[in-house]
Amino acid sequence: MIVTYNWLKEFVDCDLAPEELSHLLTMLGLEVERMETIGGGMDDVVVAQVLERNQHPNADKLSLCKVDSGKEILSIVCGAQNFKAGDKVALAQIGATLPGDFKIKRSKIRGEESFGMLCSERELALSDESSGIMILPEDFQVGTPLFDALGTKDTVFEIGLTPNRADCLSVVGVAREIAAKLGKKVHYPGHEVQEKGAAIETIASVAINAPDLCPRYTARHITGCKLAPSPAWMVERLNAAGIRSINNIVDVTNYVLLEYGHPLHAFDFKLVAGGKIVVAAAGEGETFTTLDGQERKLTASDLTIRDGEKAVALAGIMGGGNSEIGDGTTEVLLESAYFNPSAVRKTSKRLGIHTESSHRFERGTDVAGLVRALDRAAQLIAELSGGVVAKGMIDAYPQPIEPRVITARLSRINLVCGLSLSAAAVKDIFERLEFEIIEEKDDVFKVRVPLFRVDLEREIDLVEEVVRLNGFEKVQATLPTASVFSDLPSDEQRLTSRIKDLLVSQGFSEVINYSFVAPASCEKVLLPEDDFRVKGVKLLNPLSDELSVMRTTLLPGLLDTAVKNISFRTLNLRIFEMRRVYLPVPEQDLLDEPLYVGALLTGNREAEGWNQAKGEIDFFDVKGILENLLADLNVPGVSYSTDNLDPYFHPGKACQVKIGNRVLGSLGELHPTVQENYGIATPVYYLELNFQALVNARKPKGSAQVPSRFPSTFRDIAMLLPLEVAAEEVVRCVKGVKAPELEGVEIFDLYTGGNIPQGQKSLAIRVRYGSKERTLTDDEVTRLHQRVVDGLQKKLNVSFR
Amino acid sequence: MKEQLEALLNDALAEFAKASTEAELQDLRVKYLGKKGLVTTSMKGLGALSPEERPAMGQVVNTVKAKLEEVLETRGAEVREASKAVRLAAEKVDVTLPGRRRPLGSKHPITLVTEEICSIFGALGFAVAEGPEVEHDFYNFEALNFPKDHPARDMQDTFFVGDNVLLRTHTSPVQIRTMLKQQPPVRIIAPGTVYRCDSDATHSPMFHQIEGLMVDKGITFGDLKGILTLFINQLFGKDIGVRLRPSFFPFTEPSAEVDIACVICRGKGCRVCKETGWLEILGAGMVDPAVYGHVGYDAEQYTGFAFGMGIERIAMLKYGIADMRLLFENDLRFLKQF
Repeated sequence: MIVTYNWLKEFVDCDLAPEELSHLLTMLGLEVERMETIGGGMDDVVVAQVLERNQHPNADKLSLCKVDSGKEILSIVCGAQNFKAGDKVALAQIGATLPGDFKIKRSKIRGEESFGMLCSERELALSDESSGIMILPEDFQVGTPLFDALGTKDTVFEIGLTPNRADCLSVVGVAREIAAKLGKKVHYPGHEVQEKGAAIETIASVAINAPDLCPRYTARHITGCKLAPSPAWMVERLNAAGIRSINNIVDVTNYVLLEYGHPLHAFDFKLVAGGKIVVAAAGEGETFTTLDGQERKLTASDLTIRDGEKAVALAGIMGGGNSEIGDGTTEVLLESAYFNPSAVRKTSKRLGIHTESSHRFERGTDVAGLVRALDRAAQLIAELSGGVVAKGMIDAYPQPIEPRVITARLSRINLVCGLSLSAAAVKDIFERLEFEIIEEKDDVFKVRVPLFRVDLEREIDLVEEVVRLNGFEKVQATLPTASVFSDLPSDEQRLTSRIKDLLVSQGFSEVINYSFVAPASCEKVLLPEDDFRVKGVKLLNPLSDELSVMRTTLLPGLLDTAVKNISFRTLNLRIFEMRRVYLPVPEQDLLDEPLYVGALLTGNREAEGWNQAKGEIDFFDVKGILENLLADLNVPGVSYSTDNLDPYFHPGKACQVKIGNRVLGSLGELHPTVQENYGIATPVYYLELNFQALVNARKPKGSAQVPSRFPSTFRDIAMLLPLEVAAEEVVRCVKGVKAPELEGVEIFDLYTGGNIPQGQKSLAIRVRYGSKERTLTDDEVTRLHQRVVDGLQKKLNVSFR
Repeated sequence: MKEQLEALLNDALAEFAKASTEAELQDLRVKYLGKKGLVTTSMKGLGALSPEERPAMGQVVNTVKAKLEEVLETRGAEVREASKAVRLAAEKVDVTLPGRRRPLGSKHPITLVTEEICSIFGALGFAVAEGPEVEHDFYNFEALNFPKDHPARDMQDTFFVGDNVLLRTHTSPVQIRTMLKQQPPVRIIAPGTVYRCDSDATHSPMFHQIEGLMVDKGITFGDLKGILTLFINQLFGKDIGVRLRPSFFPFTEPSAEVDIACVICRGKGCRVCKETGWLEILGAGMVDPAVYGHVGYDAEQYTGFAFGMGIERIAMLKYGIADMRLLFENDLRFLKQF
């Protein structure tokens, strides 16, 4: 909503400067989002008076003048002929910049010095042409900046109105707020309409067939109008509000709309068949061409304004081309009506037409104030177009709308707001807001609120009005006395943060991808059509196809992110995302939204550096990351299975992470085809975990173990065994020797090829022996170690090297 | 003989002084004090002396021996020190070369800000609550007093997935879900992801909010002001200006926008605050009685407040990020700064 400073001052006495007024409005809830000075600037162009006009000694067509700038007497050379000594003129002083970036400098013209320039209208961009310099009215004060003196300087306020404040969609509405805050009265100028013609009833008629949708319809008739451009002052204000000037009749309806907030419509009365206005529903499937030239298909729920034959306007939204004000217009029927807000909204939404008019009707207009707008517009049209207003107006008001009566308790106001206002103070606020106090008893108010305040219905609405007008800044900040102890963050909440920290400490950066992905993303990671993840929920109104399906897996987003970073030459990547995926649930509106951890890595283990070890990431890097997570979260008993792998994994370098039959997630190298689909040059490793499954698999950490005070002994075993024997089996076999002195086993070397026979691998393990009571003797260790060696030989048939 | 010994002593001391390595010193020790060393051999001459002369001469020999031992010891220490100094000098590294680093990751700024805000409200006794992102119209709009076909719905451009199912446009539905589950007192915050169909330098179709709700007997608008001021002072510093100004949200009344003094220009007016000196960071208000109606709370008995803020907005202010899109581009060169 746009209003200007000078326009507001026509309705309320206010001596605040524009900046102060802007602050006042913002603190009333009418947020000033932009403030701009218009018709101003050029403060170095001032009103001046010519004291002497003499012939220039060296030029016939120039004169040499003495001019009073208000500060000093200047000598100025001028080429114009249309002035004399004593005239008030516009003086551009040295330093002024005129339109076209024309800078005024001290100069010498034909040997005579000139300290400024006397300006024409054209030079000041006040008009397109001019003859001679601008001669100003005699009462202008010498020294005043010209635009201040001309009164064209104004400040535009752009107010970001909240949808509840329909009453402020006008200059008058904003002025009312200022008046209420400052304790002043709005002056509504009387718009005495000069009626001359015949009685309107003899010219036109109005019938309302749908009183629910149009409770009130008023009209006036103006004849003898001459279409012409609007006066400059009107054009400027319309421009300031972003409305293009069309002609003096249409402009008046727009001007009054801005001023009073009530949309009006002017029909070319000669095109209204039978001089008859009928407010009625459209016929189902009826077509109607609106002013913008678009053909609209209507339904029976759309309200139209019709004449004896056809629709002439879409009620409250836009007029029709068939009755538009145009070159031949001389007779005007002016409409000021009240239309049902939700009916207007439905039609404008369905047809996708948003106009200044529909915007206001949707939010609710002032059913009482519409007459004032009608009169104001009729009179302005008559004045600007030389027309004659017919006697009287038509006022069809089949369903009178009564102002609301609301009860408000002082105690409630003070309780909700944390204030301690007196009844008198509240009463004062109500009165400033033009509420009529019907009753005040035991600190309970019964008030009638004006019809323009469509937002006020309940006690709480009045509570807000009181604290708002009283000023939010007057509310003391207090702290509540709480009667509740809140639970600490749950396991899930703490672990979310913990897991992120663990990944960060292992070099991963967290990314956040959009929750919606391209429909093709599942295919790109090789998920078959019957996979449950291919059936992601589609948005009905996506921003683009690329962002149209709720993701069912984190992988495509992470891969896209990897590709983007690789294109920026970040080649050693470690990224993770810990976010929800969205899985449809049969027979249910809402989805399952499990939290997943997805971590992706590619490139080298360490950043390039003069002293860094170089080495490409492999399967065991990603597995190590998982093992660290499991160790920190205390998830024991995990097994790794190569069955049922997701198709996006390399079949030989990936596994599922399980506890018993429950799958926690999976990890491994991505399938080379996926890598190709995304055009990534280096192998990509991926870890995904279902957060809830991980949390559920945690075991409480038991009592802390006291380490032995006696040194352990290590014994190594190097063995040859068939390739297909898993390392885990070797470890399990060693641990199968159930002796408390066997403290642990580690694999420290793995070797194939070279002199190792085909189908075999060389594995070296280190077994640790120790006791908490004493240092083991060599004999004891040897005996234990023999049991380990025997076990390996018997159970796994390994040969020792 | 005495003269002979003294000459020997002088020779030895001169040689000791010249020696510069431990090996040379060792050789000199052998030369003078070894079994066949010069001092040892000179002791053999004692036998040729008269018994009267012998003790005095013996003492001289012992003195010379002791002196040589002592000097050898000192020189040895000196030479060791000197050679250590040579070694240390040779081992000098260029300390300006970069160190050997394990890769270190980073949390997303959205996560960092969310965690910080949650911990501030945690200290104020607010528990964290969550809700679904794909949500029923009822929780997202209806129960929050956004009637169907009301212009208030235009404030939030909504993604739909079904007739009455949508991507939540704010975290406020968590308020409703929480209140339907429990009776007052309620004190929660609800961080989460929200969606609106809007995309430019200051809008992302997906973004994050934190919602807060407190309902109890006797909670006032002053309490709202107090809690939010405390919060803002924790997040942005004790001396930051805070102001509340009237606004409108369907589910609160009175409603307020909360501004902080511009963190860039400190209230003087700049491009970031559009010359106003203030930055809008929060929407808040007293829970509207209509909302209590939907969740079965007695609006006469209980009052409360709700507030909501955009995490991106706060992250942008805290880290001086001008374009919101940077937060979702996932460029590691950007993310590694946090």
